[in-house]
Amino acid sequence: MKYLLRKVSNSLLLVIGVTLVSFVLMVWFGPDRTYGLIGKNPTQEQIDQVRRQLGYDQPFFARYLDYLGDLATLDLGHSDSSGESVSALLARTVPITLALMLPGFVLGNLLAMILAMFSAWYRGGWLDRLISGLSVGSMSLSFLVIIIGLQVLLCTPYGLNLFPVRGWNVSDFGSYLYHVTVPTLALVLVSIGYNTRFYRSVFIEEAGRDHIMTVRAFGASPATIMGRHVMANSMAPIITRILFSVPLVVISGSLLIESYFGIPGVGKASFDAITSGDQPVLKAVVALTAVSFVLVQLAADLLYRAFDPRIEQAPENGSARA
Amino acid sequence: MLTFARVSRLLALALSLFLVSCAEESPAPAAKESRGSVYRHAMDGAPTNLDPTQADSIYANFFAVNLYDTLFRYKYLARPYALEPNLAEELPQVSADGLIYTIRIKPGVRFNDDPAFEGGRGRVVTAADFVYSIKRHFDPNVRSMGSWLWAGKIVGMEEWRENGADYAEEVPGLRALDERTIQIQLIQPFPQLAHTLTQGYAAIVPREAVDHYGAEFSLNPVGSGPYRLESFDSARAVLIRNGGFRKEPFSLAREGFNPEQQSGLGLEELEGLTPPFIKRVEVEFINEDAARWNALVAGEVDFIKAPVSQLDSLLSSRNPPTLKPEFAEQYQMDASLESGLVFTYFNMSNPEIGQHPDPEVDERNRALRCAIVKGFDWQRRNEVFYYGIGQVFPGIIPPVTPEYDATQSFDYVTRDVEEAKDLLVRNGWTEDNLPTLEYGMVSGVTDRQMFEQFRSFMADIGYPTDKIRPLTFASYGDYARAYQNREIMLITLSWTMDYPDAENTIQLFYGPNASPGSNNSNYDNEGFNQLYRSSATMQPSPLRTTMYNNMNRMVMEDCVAISGLSRTLVLLWNRDFTMKPDRSFVGGSYFRFVQAPGDPDD
Repeated sequence: MKYLLRKVSNSLLLVIGVTLVSFVLMVWFGPDRTYGLIGKNPTQEQIDQVRRQLGYDQPFFARYLDYLGDLATLDLGHSDSSGESVSALLARTVPITLALMLPGFVLGNLLAMILAMFSAWYRGGWLDRLISGLSVGSMSLSFLVIIIGLQVLLCTPYGLNLFPVRGWNVSDFGSYLYHVTVPTLALVLVSIGYNTRFYRSVFIEEAGRDHIMTVRAFGASPATIMGRHVMANSMAPIITRILFSVPLVVISGSLLIESYFGIPGVGKASFDAITSGDQPVLKAVVALTAVSFVLVQLAADLLYRAFDPRIEQAPENGSARA
Repeated sequence: MLTFARVSRLLALALSLFLVSCAEESPAPAAKESRGSVYRHAMDGAPTNLDPTQADSIYANFFAVNLYDTLFRYKYLARPYALEPNLAEELPQVSADGLIYTIRIKPGVRFNDDPAFEGGRGRVVTAADFVYSIKRHFDPNVRSMGSWLWAGKIVGMEEWRENGADYAEEVPGLRALDERTIQIQLIQPFPQLAHTLTQGYAAIVPREAVDHYGAEFSLNPVGSGPYRLESFDSARAVLIRNGGFRKEPFSLAREGFNPEQQSGLGLEELEGLTPPFIKRVEVEFINEDAARWNALVAGEVDFIKAPVSQLDSLLSSRNPPTLKPEFAEQYQMDASLESGLVFTYFNMSNPEIGQHPDPEVDERNRALRCAIVKGFDWQRRNEVFYYGIGQVFPGIIPPVTPEYDATQSFDYVTRDVEEAKDLLVRNGWTEDNLPTLEYGMVSGVTDRQMFEQFRSFMADIGYPTDKIRPLTFASYGDYARAYQNREIMLITLSWTMDYPDAENTIQLFYGPNASPGSNNSNYDNEGFNQLYRSSATMQPSPLRTTMYNNMNRMVMEDCVAISGLSRTLVLLWNRDFTMKPDRSFVGGSYFRFVQAPGDPDD
């Protein structure tokens, strides 16, 4: 119970900290929305009026307290740009981004783990060098080049012309696959290099440990060694990497993917809010991201324990013992 | 044990199966074909909001004039642009003194059915709806971006706003005389009034819908225009034909058809048919040039504004712009000048470069500005950034306006490095005493490239490059705040005209419109101001045109701006469609006249 209370209070502090820093950035460094909301020949009176309506004339802490109050009551307001309720906007866009990003995220990680296992097992050999070379190649390619290249190759008459250049008219599983395939390939191609390099280093470190040598000496098969022993003992960094990527995938989405493929997800909505200074949307996205990270941290704590029984509940002084 | 070869074979097989299965399960063949009575229009930007009071961009305006009715519109094909009644029965009756406009609207026009109305059935559009729609612009709670069009022009409107914008209170200058008659009384003549009533800002909205949807009225348009909204998000919008739209057969003569210039478009087939022809308009918002181009060649959209980056592969000649044969087989093209200009203002309120109370300094500053103007190379600007097909012109009256004088001298936009250097020397400017110029721009590659080009032009006339500094802003809003607060010395802007009358660009230099108003140069010349005040109330006439050209000359003599260039927009569309697209004053009104292949007039 104490552990839970401490976690919750830490999480609250984290949320307050993240929202405060974000709010400072939004207010002091974010775009001034006023001049995007006035006509071509404004008077000073009209400018002042819009500033009042946006709350720009209020002291910083009054605005921040209002923000916290809105969050506490889940009153996210309406977008300054479109007038749409922010809750409705998130409810509309977050599921699209999830459906768009998850296949690429999962495949990008799974394939990278498989490649990294081969690379680690054949460390220093031609296969390792090939996989490492391809990974560096993937890392060197611009996301934009990958997107445009795939569009030309798979979506236009210059190439195979199999998939749509853009759009998200998803009504059933077939149409989902039709629209998600090229974005997924782009995501896999752009992430697989980074992921493979990361997992390779994790697996190599683990594969060099004494207990792995013991298992090898015992004559276990490569699949058993890599799957049951190396993989299982590498779960802490793997969980950390995957879980802490989830909020970015869900909330931030991928602006480039959504823009170039014409997909109305939360990534594009967030980007538009940032560039236009649409603070109601920005504030909601920031809060949602902070809460997601808190939840992810809790989930990571639980999963660490599940995969590594040596991790015990931290004592009162806050240190963990392995 | 798994070998690499086995694994790679397995992966390749899995990937192939995945791709083939996805493609086979997909509706690809149907999606890639041109589909019947559906017109798929690509926009290079997107509106954020569909409330007519926010129709500040060409994108928002496209939607406003399709979802709502305006009293007037521009004739589809007439060039120069000419007014045509839309919801109004005829063009306005104007009193002899030019102060009272009387407009009758067509009978029996109904708003689309919507839950906002009693029983869900749209009611008849009345004159009172127009009055309500214009009043909204002056309601402080609405945050209108279009009120400036009528501010200070309608009798009693300012008082109505100052007294709390009570819609029950009548505005003396804006009244519904009966169900179908509107009367507008002006404080002083405003010859452009009818033009402003073609714009999305002047679209007619029902009060029931505004009250019903509240803040989300902006996403739930309820109008009486040729189309109604099916869906709208940041990636696309779908419009469905308004089946109840008034039946007005298409007439080539009424729309200003010019057989000499427009005979190749197949428009003759439309005679007598009843618009709107297209049942469904799908608008794709595609900012990215590459994606927009790919969408066109893949057959996913029927219309795009061609990206400048593609013009080299698209055109066989620049003058006149002509499609290469392989593209001409598939696409029609229209290359028209924009209704606006790009230019760079000097901040005339800045004592280092602008107007100055000391006549001697004032003259030196004028010489400095003129040297910069003479050092600027419009031809290279046109070549590098506009594919050489923009039109450079002297001053501030763009070629698209009827007042443009094609016979005037082009000295102002002809580069003369020696003259520029001479001007600097004769007025005592040296590398040491030249002021540091602050050049404002929004962060972006093209803006930065333009800045560097400007700096290279100035280097040619001896301006030290370290004395020309960029002031970069993260967003246009921040940039606008800075120049409206007079913080920038050189302000590069584009201006899209609101109506085809040079008054719309001339007012950008009228002293009382200084920042935060539209005159961001803060130019204040009493002679110019007097001419502007006199001409502003005049109907079009040779005398008024002369006055406009005199003001244009004043701006050039005082070297207030490096100006200007009108960009040529290359519009490209699927040959199967019969249409004459327009991004200018006709704007989105042309959607109703787009004819799909084999689409009967049903």
